[in-house]
Amino acid sequence: MTATLAEASAPTEGRAPRAPLTRLLRSELRWVLRRPRTLIGLGLLGLAPVVIGIGISLATGSGRNGPDALFGLLKGNGLLLPLLTLFLSMPLLLPLVGAMSAADALAGESANGTLRGLLLAPVSRVRLLGVKAFGVATVTLIAVAIIAVVGAIAGPLLLGGTSMLTLSGTTLTVLPSLGRVLLAVLWVTVQIWAVGAIALAISACTEHPLIAMASTLAGLIVCTVLESISSLGWLQPYLLPDSWGSIVDLVRDPLDMSSLTTGTWRAVCYIVVGLSLATARMATKDA
Amino acid sequence: MTVEANERAGVESAVAGSTPARVLAARTRGLRKTYGRTVAVDRVDLDLPEGAVLGMLGPNGSGKTTTIRMLLGLTQPTAGEVELLGHALPGGAGHALPHVGALVEGPGFHPFLSGRENLRRVGAAEPLLATGSIRKAVDDALERVGLAAAAGRNYRGYSLGMKQRLGLAAALLVPRRLIVLDEPTNGLDPSGTREVRQVIADLHAAGATVLVSSHLLAEVEATCTHVAVLHQGTVVAQGELAELLQAGSPALQVSTEDISTALNALRAAKVSARAEGDGLRVELTGTTAPEVLRTLVQAGVAVQEARRHRAGLEELFARLTESEPAAIDAEEPR
Amino acid sequence: MNNRKVTLAVTAAGVVAGVVGLGIVANPAGAGPAPTLPSVSAESLVQSVLTAKPAAFAGSVEVTNNLGLPALPGIPLTADGVNKARVWSDGQGRARLSLPSAQSEQVFVEDGKTVWSYDSAKKTATKSTKDAAKDGAGKTPLDQHGDRAANPVTAAADLITELRKTSNIAVDGTATVAGRPAYELVLSPKPDERTLLREVRVAVDSELRIPLRAEVLTNGTNEPAVQVAFADLTVGSQDASLFTFTPPAGTKVEDKNLTAKDRKTAEEAKDQVSPQVVGDGWDTTLVGRVPAGLLSGNATAPNGSTKHNGQNPAALLKQFGMPVSGAWGSGIKISTKVGTGLLTDDGRFAVGAVPEQVLYEAIGQVK
Repeated sequence: MTATLAEASAPTEGRAPRAPLTRLLRSELRWVLRRPRTLIGLGLLGLAPVVIGIGISLATGSGRNGPDALFGLLKGNGLLLPLLTLFLSMPLLLPLVGAMSAADALAGESANGTLRGLLLAPVSRVRLLGVKAFGVATVTLIAVAIIAVVGAIAGPLLLGGTSMLTLSGTTLTVLPSLGRVLLAVLWVTVQIWAVGAIALAISACTEHPLIAMASTLAGLIVCTVLESISSLGWLQPYLLPDSWGSIVDLVRDPLDMSSLTTGTWRAVCYIVVGLSLATARMATKDA
Repeated sequence: MTVEANERAGVESAVAGSTPARVLAARTRGLRKTYGRTVAVDRVDLDLPEGAVLGMLGPNGSGKTTTIRMLLGLTQPTAGEVELLGHALPGGAGHALPHVGALVEGPGFHPFLSGRENLRRVGAAEPLLATGSIRKAVDDALERVGLAAAAGRNYRGYSLGMKQRLGLAAALLVPRRLIVLDEPTNGLDPSGTREVRQVIADLHAAGATVLVSSHLLAEVEATCTHVAVLHQGTVVAQGELAELLQAGSPALQVSTEDISTALNALRAAKVSARAEGDGLRVELTGTTAPEVLRTLVQAGVAVQEARRHRAGLEELFARLTESEPAAIDAEEPR
Repeated sequence: MNNRKVTLAVTAAGVVAGVVGLGIVANPAGAGPAPTLPSVSAESLVQSVLTAKPAAFAGSVEVTNNLGLPALPGIPLTADGVNKARVWSDGQGRARLSLPSAQSEQVFVEDGKTVWSYDSAKKTATKSTKDAAKDGAGKTPLDQHGDRAANPVTAAADLITELRKTSNIAVDGTATVAGRPAYELVLSPKPDERTLLREVRVAVDSELRIPLRAEVLTNGTNEPAVQVAFADLTVGSQDASLFTFTPPAGTKVEDKNLTAKDRKTAEEAKDQVSPQVVGDGWDTTLVGRVPAGLLSGNATAPNGSTKHNGQNPAALLKQFGMPVSGAWGSGIKISTKVGTGLLTDDGRFAVGAVPEQVLYEAIGQVK
């Protein structure tokens, strides 16, 4: 206690005592991963590839044409399952997880009164936002990875084959196929991070996690609608989901990264904007 | 007890140790906070002497919580300055806040975590807690507020009182120089209230400064050395409790059945008095008790009992918060 | 306080940077300043293009369509927008072309002897030996898709030879296309040509002398109506495995060597259509008569320029055509920025990069 008090007399100019960052991050992760809805969400995501895999293995008839063309390739190409599931989860399921965890990170803590506690500890506001962003990023990565891992296991089991038939008509062996899955995980994660960053900015502005989550998803749905209006072609390259379809490029041979790279830069821009807005709001808000 | 505390809380009784004596643990000047057009707090100059137990009183909506939030850097004041443990906010928050424990606006915890887990999460953010000692600090704090037995249960299942205790435990996780408790006895049963009083007394005895906001006057009167009364967003009175109580104007409580005769007699003698209960209340301004009694007896009033009126906190509070604030300012000590 | 201001300044900068970055992502920067290249005459540039050796390269080509046609179900290529193709060439006649679409891909591989085409959506592969392909269409596999314009190599070469007689040809500065310095060759119609087109610009790689970009510009606008350009181009030898194709398991393989009978049918169809060229140079129009069953049924026009994909062509035409009539009869007119088409009610047609009056004159020559 005496030592503590001696330390307290340090002048303002000196370095303020801070809890170690790793401890804060660990504590954040422990909290995030014990939250029931995170666990339920992750569990449901893990079921997605299994459900799709079973559905396809039961489906009779040859591969259909048209927009379902990807489904047609699946039988006997088990390693396509994780990619397909990611593709299908991208428009809604994964953003839902990202937005949910971002909504809980600030608005949820605010609603519980726990944000106050952290600010009083004190954790500086900018640092706190960093910790929260880390938590959201980790949940997102875990969610995407769960789909990929479960898909990569369930795919060969349910659909057979440990190779990947590309849209270009070539067949990739196991290792390159897994490489593609890994690329998909990284790419999708960055895209969902962008959703999470925007959700964090909204989350910093409200005390109601539902508002943060709903407005993020509503914005995303509006973007998707705008994407389908062809006369808005000039606007579409600014919208985050513009390149979400290009995850299909990972099933082409040779790999065409151009659209994926554009999408990554777009997501990075959204992350920068989202985190900046969230930081600005955190620095000025009354907790 | 109150008197003893007052003596202890003098300027000299700064925190022990190597630190140079600081007169004030917290200080605000010209503090103002507006929400849109609503003025929540205005011209608050609050002084919290180190080692004192300051009771912050005020009716609902008088700006107690807003003031506390600004004091802790949670809310940015619209105007004015805050100094906490010698550091100006918000720049010095990083230096000051580690030494401040607070329970503001009720306990805030995660419902799906146990009390212990919740406290460990708080502990992880405490700059002054070494990583290795978090567990012990948490268990000690739980023990201190009597929650050791329920520590493993989910916060969701806690009663209001248990939640309040957990909030107190979080404030006490680290040895603090200043503890800020916003309505700490909310939802506590009488024994819980007593325990909180004991905790405050212990903290006081250990040299810590305590700021308690409450609307329970008895609680404040029993535990505090200093009082600040807020009304309509401003401090209408502050100072040592005993001083404030004495500053109340003296009065004489007279029991009699002959109220109208008594009043007439006193009015004739130009002594201010009014009927109160089964007797009179006579203001002793410009007169003395024997003088009043003589007047009454001479008028043939049957005085059954006469005693000095001792101003209580409740009365002081009522007087401060019900009358014109301008009149109060003049009476403010110092 | 100061700290807070710094934070706000940094976050404001972050927002600005992110938005600017988004703008750059959405509108990729132009090619930058025009490179400085030794001057060259138009003739020798055209010459060098026509004689240039095919190079080994990998690249992607973007076809930007700004014709002003509405989007039609089944014919996405007609709508304004950008379509992408990926091309590989080993410089020795082996090539690979892939046309990616949202969830499928069409691949064309020429391995020197055999031409494969693969459609991932239908899971079908079509195989034809090269001799047969030559007999059948006289075109390289890249053209078999029917979209000759998709390959700038052939597109620009065709344009230059074709238009030299009636056009002014000049080298108009330089440009950077797909990161490579290029000469801009401009072909514009001579004043007496009656055409909708203002000029055709072809960017020729200064080193390889292959066209990198072809643009068709029309009167009254600076936006090209059609542009075919390399988005990126990597010159160098390519992996040999790119130029082979093995049909994946589960693929239906069709052998499409044109038999004599097939050829005969095609000839007959061609005769029946009896396309006829009226005029020359920029105001060339193609006129003829549509086979009776074609407009109502499910068929593919022999010139391969349109694919109807099961739609009723007549109904389709009415969707975006405009009814017109004149001394020549009545019919439907279809206007785009680069050309006009006319289909009469009695089955005669005329198309050309010309204003409608030229078509009305030409259609009278159809028997």
